[in-house]
Amino acid sequence: MPWPLQIAFRQLFPAGKRLPFFTFVAVVGVMLGVAVLIVVLSVMNGFGNQIRRMVVDTQGHVRVDTGGIIYHYNELREKVLAIEGVKAVAPFAQGMVMIQHANRPGFPVIQGIDPRHEAEVVPMERFLKSGALEDLDDDSILLSSGLAADLGARVGSEVEVYSPLVLEKLKRDEIFLPQRMRVVGIFETGWNQIDTNSAICTLRTMQDLYALGKGVHALKVRLQDGVDIDEAVARIQQQLGFPYRATSWLDSNRDFLFVLQLEKNMLMFLLLFIILVASFSITNSLLTTVVRKTREIGLFAALGARTGQVALCFCAQGLFIGVLGTLFGFALAALALHFRNDVIHAFARLTHSEAALLRFYQFANLPAEYSAHDLTVIAVATVIISTLAGVLPAWRAARMRPSEALRSE
Amino acid sequence: MSKEPGRVVLAAEDIVKTYRSGERRIDVLRGVDLAIREGESVSIRGESGSGKTTLLNILAGLERADAGRLFWQGEQVSGRSLNHLAVRRRGFIGMVFQAYYLVPELNALDNVILAGRIAGKNTRLLRERARALLARVGLAERVDHLPSRLSGGECQRVAIARALINEPPLILADEPTGNLDERTAEDVIDLLLGLCRETRTALVLVTHNAEHARRTSRQCRLHLGRLEA
Ligand SMILES: Nc1ncnc2c1ncn2[C@@H]1O[C@H](COP(=O)(O)OP(=O)(O)O)[C@@H](O)[C@H]1O
Ligand SMILES: [Mg+2]
Repeated sequence: MPWPLQIAFRQLFPAGKRLPFFTFVAVVGVMLGVAVLIVVLSVMNGFGNQIRRMVVDTQGHVRVDTGGIIYHYNELREKVLAIEGVKAVAPFAQGMVMIQHANRPGFPVIQGIDPRHEAEVVPMERFLKSGALEDLDDDSILLSSGLAADLGARVGSEVEVYSPLVLEKLKRDEIFLPQRMRVVGIFETGWNQIDTNSAICTLRTMQDLYALGKGVHALKVRLQDGVDIDEAVARIQQQLGFPYRATSWLDSNRDFLFVLQLEKNMLMFLLLFIILVASFSITNSLLTTVVRKTREIGLFAALGARTGQVALCFCAQGLFIGVLGTLFGFALAALALHFRNDVIHAFARLTHSEAALLRFYQFANLPAEYSAHDLTVIAVATVIISTLAGVLPAWRAARMRPSEALRSE
Repeated sequence: MSKEPGRVVLAAEDIVKTYRSGERRIDVLRGVDLAIREGESVSIRGESGSGKTTLLNILAGLERADAGRLFWQGEQVSGRSLNHLAVRRRGFIGMVFQAYYLVPELNALDNVILAGRIAGKNTRLLRERARALLARVGLAERVDHLPSRLSGGECQRVAIARALINEPPLILADEPTGNLDERTAEDVIDLLLGLCRETRTALVLVTHNAEHARRTSRQCRLHLGRLEA
């Protein structure tokens, strides 16, 4: 270790003495800033990735439609399946219906799926809480957990389904009977938006309900792992041509994803201010140290130190504080994230807000994922900021005239 | 103890230094000439405020004179930058101060080693040499003590060891016994003069004590800005 670093280190951690208060406060300040940054950004990552996975799991990577009804969807399906990077394709039709059970109404989004292909794109089995997917036939329906609770329906219940076509029929004075359907399963994706209010039936049922004939609204496409989504979308679009449109889930959720990223960047920026504030206190304390150490600065000169080396004695203190604060901050963040769910549940229980937590944050457990990129940015920014905190004191030290420094009392 | 006159280690010619504080001018040095030969010891006495410290700082290259020339081992160094002088000073001048100036965070051994490290020497070799020097000044048992646990006399012994670690041809000592009681002062002066003689190191000793001054090979007085024999 070069001697200026040894001096810097010893001033922060004198051998055989108590840890100086300055060192403690400076390192703790940086540590807290780093820990808060990591915790907040990791939770943001967790939410973001969970939402991304959820969207892909329920919508597939790519959606192919024409804006109208697609009739020859089996041919289209084969055609899309043949495109490079495509793993599975499933047709679907989607709309709103009214469902009634024991005089309780619900207005869910209902999706008609092809049970033969759906599971290749959407991991339905994983979402099913009760009932069985094999039982789904043209007279039965799957309800989301929230909807089932609202209707008071269970597996085995009978519900009445009214399609919007009822309005047309009423206008023409035709008799209209709702379709009676048996509940054969309850599903829960973990994504609140879907779980509160949706239902699934077979494609054939949906075609009846919406008078689609043999048509569907769109195809969901799942890509093979590691395939670049934008490139795949472009390939599909190019192969199919007009009137087909291929849209990635990234595109259809662009606003949402943009807001998510923006939020994360803003938080990163704001939280870096904690470290900036900590670094001001480092600068302040180091300036006092320089004054306190004036005679030693003179001594170093007398022993033959160049001004740059004297400066390094103080600049390096900022560097050490930054490095230590970062390390401790990483450790504290890892600890906090490890116990995050215990902490949150304890807190929620204390404030009786567990239900609210679930409703507003869509997830029962706090997701958190480290991102190597974030950790690198945090570590590098912290070390740079705290090293810069030592620059002004270092410059003051280097500017001292040795003869006067030696004379100082 | 007269010998063949050795080579000149340090020479100062017509050194002038004036301080300005506000309106007032203080002519501290008004033309000082001094030549130090290899291995000789020179004492400088003078009243408080007569400019002894100023002269020593200028000789050491810690401060620049307003006029005059300074030679280190025959090379003219007046006019060079303070940073250049700092680097040249490393192996050339060891300094001892009235208030010891030990680094409080380093133990005795590391304080001695520090001077060698600043001079860019190998730490392993320094460690051995520093131990030997500390043993020579009577502190073999105290090498790992912090300055706060050493007495004034012991601190000054560490400082003397530090001044010698780089084997400089010249030591400048500015009232090294100024903070010590009579007995301790005597011991420290014995040590300093003895070590310089042993190692043939030239010594400039600034002191108030006439006894101590008399023990050097040459005695000077700084008076009214001039050095008198
Ligand atoms: N930086 C300075 N500015 C103004 N006056 C100074 C400065 N340094 C020293 N002096 C003055 O120069 C004179 C000589 O000081 P010094 O060399 O310390 O004397 P000594 O060491 O002989 O006691 C004193 O009057 C002192 O006040
Ligand atoms: Mg003095």
